Amino acid sequence: MSSLRGDSGALRRLLAAVGGRPSWRALEQVADSPEFGGYIQQSHPSLGPMLAGPSRRRVLQVMAASLALGGLAGCDKRQPSSGTSQIVPYVNQPTGLTPSEPLDYASATLLDGIANGMLVTTINGRPIKIEGNPQHPFSRGGTDVFSQASVLGLYDPDRSQAVQHLSNPSDWDTLQAAMLNRFAAVRAQHGAGLRLLTGPVSSPTLLDQIAQLKQALPQMHWHVLAPVGRDNIYAGAEQAFGKKLETLWHFDKAEVIVSLDGDFLDSGPHQIAASRTWVAARRSRAVQGKLLALHAVAPVPTLTYAKADYHAPVAQRDLLPLAHALLADITAEQESQAGTPPATPAAAWGANAAAALKAAHGTSLVVTGTHQSPELHAVVHQINAALGNIGKTVTYIDPVLGQAEPFADLVTAMGAGDVTTLIMLDTNPVYAAPGDAQFGTLLQKVSLKLHAGSHIDETGARSDWHLPLSHPLESWADARSLDGTATIIQPTIERLYDSRTATEILSILFEPQPRSAFTIMRDYWQKQMQTADFETVWRQAVQAGFVDRSAFPPQTPTAKPAQPAPSASDSATPPEILIRPDPTVWDGSLGNNAWLQELPKPMLKTVWENVVTVSPAFAARQNLKNGDMVTIELGSDAVSGPIWVLPGQNDETVMLQLGYGRNSVGAVGDGLGYNAYALRRLAGLWQADAAKFQRGHGSRTIATTQQLDTQEGHDYIRLQEIGAQPVGDTAAYTQPTLYDRNDSDGRAWGMVIDLDACTGCNACVVACQAENNVPVVGRDQVLAGRDMHWLRVDRYYTGPDESADARFMPVPCMHCETAPCELGCPVEATLHDKEGLNLMVYNRCVGTRACSAYCPYKVRHFNFLHYSEAPAVVQEQRNPSVTVRARGVMEKCTYCVQRIVAGRIAADKEDRSIRDGEVVTACASACPTQAIFFGDLADKGSAVTKARQDSRNYALLGELNTRPRTTYLAALTPTKEKA
Amino acid sequence: MSQLFQPRADAIFRFVLWTAFLGAVVALFVAEGLSHSSYLTGRNIIQPQPTEFSHQHHAGELGIDCRYCHTTVQTAASAGMPPTHTCMTCHSQIWTNARMLAPVRDSYANNTPLVWQRVGRLPEYVYFNHSVHVDNGIGCSSCHGDMTRMQMTWQPHAFSMDFCLSCHQAPQNYLRPQSKVFDMQWQPPANQQEIGDKLLKQYHINTSGLLSDCSTCHR
Repeated sequence: MSSLRGDSGALRRLLAAVGGRPSWRALEQVADSPEFGGYIQQSHPSLGPMLAGPSRRRVLQVMAASLALGGLAGCDKRQPSSGTSQIVPYVNQPTGLTPSEPLDYASATLLDGIANGMLVTTINGRPIKIEGNPQHPFSRGGTDVFSQASVLGLYDPDRSQAVQHLSNPSDWDTLQAAMLNRFAAVRAQHGAGLRLLTGPVSSPTLLDQIAQLKQALPQMHWHVLAPVGRDNIYAGAEQAFGKKLETLWHFDKAEVIVSLDGDFLDSGPHQIAASRTWVAARRSRAVQGKLLALHAVAPVPTLTYAKADYHAPVAQRDLLPLAHALLADITAEQESQAGTPPATPAAAWGANAAAALKAAHGTSLVVTGTHQSPELHAVVHQINAALGNIGKTVTYIDPVLGQAEPFADLVTAMGAGDVTTLIMLDTNPVYAAPGDAQFGTLLQKVSLKLHAGSHIDETGARSDWHLPLSHPLESWADARSLDGTATIIQPTIERLYDSRTATEILSILFEPQPRSAFTIMRDYWQKQMQTADFETVWRQAVQAGFVDRSAFPPQTPTAKPAQPAPSASDSATPPEILIRPDPTVWDGSLGNNAWLQELPKPMLKTVWENVVTVSPAFAARQNLKNGDMVTIELGSDAVSGPIWVLPGQNDETVMLQLGYGRNSVGAVGDGLGYNAYALRRLAGLWQADAAKFQRGHGSRTIATTQQLDTQEGHDYIRLQEIGAQPVGDTAAYTQPTLYDRNDSDGRAWGMVIDLDACTGCNACVVACQAENNVPVVGRDQVLAGRDMHWLRVDRYYTGPDESADARFMPVPCMHCETAPCELGCPVEATLHDKEGLNLMVYNRCVGTRACSAYCPYKVRHFNFLHYSEAPAVVQEQRNPSVTVRARGVMEKCTYCVQRIVAGRIAADKEDRSIRDGEVVTACASACPTQAIFFGDLADKGSAVTKARQDSRNYALLGELNTRPRTTYLAALTPTKEKA
Repeated sequence: MSQLFQPRADAIFRFVLWTAFLGAVVALFVAEGLSHSSYLTGRNIIQPQPTEFSHQHHAGELGIDCRYCHTTVQTAASAGMPPTHTCMTCHSQIWTNARMLAPVRDSYANNTPLVWQRVGRLPEYVYFNHSVHVDNGIGCSSCHGDMTRMQMTWQPHAFSMDFCLSCHQAPQNYLRPQSKVFDMQWQPPANQQEIGDKLLKQYHINTSGLLSDCSTCHR
């Protein structure tokens, strides 16, 4: 690993060689050496240009000028220091609304057409923040990065704002008039030549609309293009059970979990619920002194793989044989011969996993991932059946997504010229269709192309009509969550533009009297509910955000006997090339969301682009390093992207990420990364094995938020072996100190982060950004090390490269009781309050940045530029309870002081103390696994106090005697001898 | 060769030095004075409003309660500005043709809001909450002055940080019993020290110094 990462040992040797007492002259000699340059390039890329660039004299000149001109930042008129000078009250104030006070509505956010129940916080009629809906039967109060970021998507300035006909502005009435004759003809031919293409649909109302359309127009065809989708899951269930089914995991009933490239902790519509239930089950086992062990193999490390207690990298092509071997091992009557020790780490893992599974009949669970082949899904079902898990740890329900005709059929029909009218609803096939579909070319053969989308994207620009689609936060709609629960989406703001929902657009095109989305949906549910007291039930559903008891009933199907294992493929094939969705911008549809672009990818910590990941050994063999451009060619399609070395990846595997290479999504997302869709094939979405991997020309610097991957001998992340001596300690709080500590007799805010429960999902990072008006700085500023996230999730590796163990650690401000930063500040802009908060007073800050230099945790961020400048519509999202910071001001995590003060005022007015759980920080509230405890440490009964008394509790860098208020609970690992 | 400097050069040099020094001192005093001036603080300045609404008439002579219009003063951060509808509850019945009320009628008829000029201005980085002050015995007139005497509305105090801190550091000097909170003529009684200390306890006011912590008003 040292070959890839900065070798500070070498630097020290170099310094030693210079002389006993290195003077600045000597340091300069060191700085000129190629070794030092290499060290800087590797461990501090942002300093590289400075070394190479101006001379020392020039740097001093620039610094002197900055110092002299620094004060001018205070003369800036862009941020008026006084409040607005006008008051504009309502003419008629809506009932139930108090100006400037937050109001929550139950609604939902969508990913791939599937809902997760949410609460939308609005202030003055503007949605500004998404919180989890604790009442929702599936999501249970958790959130993910996509739901947190969806509020920014509403205010995206690049959303399409009006109907366009042949790139000219038009309107809905013109559209309706123009379509009247056209659709009359289509109706007369019973829909012949008419095709409807949508994204994945789980909405009961929209599915009903489509079903009625198909009834009225029997010749019409409906297709779904799902860049990620769940087709493999359904096809796998069909192979194993004879019908398409959705799989539901019940971790609480399991004693051991085996994942064959499973993704239950990774991004997707399942992430919130699965990670919550998995952590809950793991915690309840830990209370009994046991470990709910997770065994995982994967070709490319995922969050699920990283959280596994036992893991091994396995090639994609070896997964299916491994699954068959597991099945054979489990169904074998006799104990398998225990003679020869397993040859490879994967075989050793397999033996260990099989033994664990056999010991847990009916209480084990085998899972695989969304992107895995139907064959693997089928074998996993058969393993679960063989273990007697079906009906216990795993149940099945009907698919929540509507089943349409395959996308490939549409491509064939378009090629044959059978399609005359194509309606594309909330989908972007020109960008997101597999490369071999040549969709852009085929589209020219269709005489009438209608596209409804949130942006005038690649497809919209090539369509005759582009129709602006409403954002879910401004629409009436419904959708199912993965357990089938019908979830109601209600608008939280008047439509920003003259847009329509998907249901409304179908109504405009096919109904004589177009209806509103609300009427369409309400009519559907009135028909469904068939109750005398519909109004009450309906209002309850809208208020709660879901239809009560609408989850699909669980099924326990019988598995067919397994197919024989395929013969082993020859191992001399070139590297296997996998394609995966991007964990932040997903399939590319979220590409214009700046929060998601700047969110570090959980495993890679890269931002603003996609990369080609390879293992360290692969990189060493090919002499590749981070940023080297490579080209992957498949037929006539080729993409080139930069290499990113990912420890723990399988040696023969290369991973490409979807979601980039867009050129008409908007100002944020255009021109970033490469487009991996070009290498996708209709017959195989997730793998491009026939592709040729070649070294490209040159290399580029990749923006990353974490330069150092190892803990360098420190114990930042402590590991607690089950049954071993506690690794936590309170030593950090008993050392003598010279600081003047103003101990308060009142409240003492504190936070405890459970590293065992943290899955590295990043929901907290986006939640913090949304709550605290944290600006986005862009790729260049991230390259300069100026990212602004108040809360970062550090990812550290331990162990050898080939089976590196990745661990996650969220790092907010520690709110040290003896805070070094406060000594550094010359103007008392950072200081303590009586409840132990380390405050940052923006209007006092003069921007010396001394506090940041003094901070051992590096959680302070400086506004080097006017980062908060944004288009007016983006500013609408901002939280009015938090100051928007100007240039030249330091900022950092405040423990959401605005929420603390709101809680304090509410309690004060009722003359009571603040209840435990009344004040929750944005990160703690967003966390799907409830890994973050926040509360009053002076309250002996509070959850955070109890968490602090856990034997796993320790302070990060406690030896520095900073007495941090934020502490950590060590992650659990299995006992050594078994590992 | 004559002398480079004449004897009066010293005098000129001294004069320049003294002028510069005195000029700096004067500039400091001017800056200090300006910062407290009505011009910069907005104190005692009457703004042109869409209609000449008189607090003296409504709150003073007619005796309409503050909370009839400022409805959320006890429950929310903002005291609340009355919607046009509130004006029209009375003015659809009385003074229905008054010329002065034409902007109000137009607003109601055309559904266009009235645009008032703000009188009491706080910097954007200050977060003030009306409800918690009213609830803890700080009366309207402590900050807004006697509104029942204002024909047109002005701000009698400069909302500078020392004004806020004068109370946050010693709230007992300003606390009133709950019955006097909306009393515009309230003045501290002779035994305010004694009453104030009792009220501190009655309102459960935190005297640890938390009230003058930065986080209380700035976020």
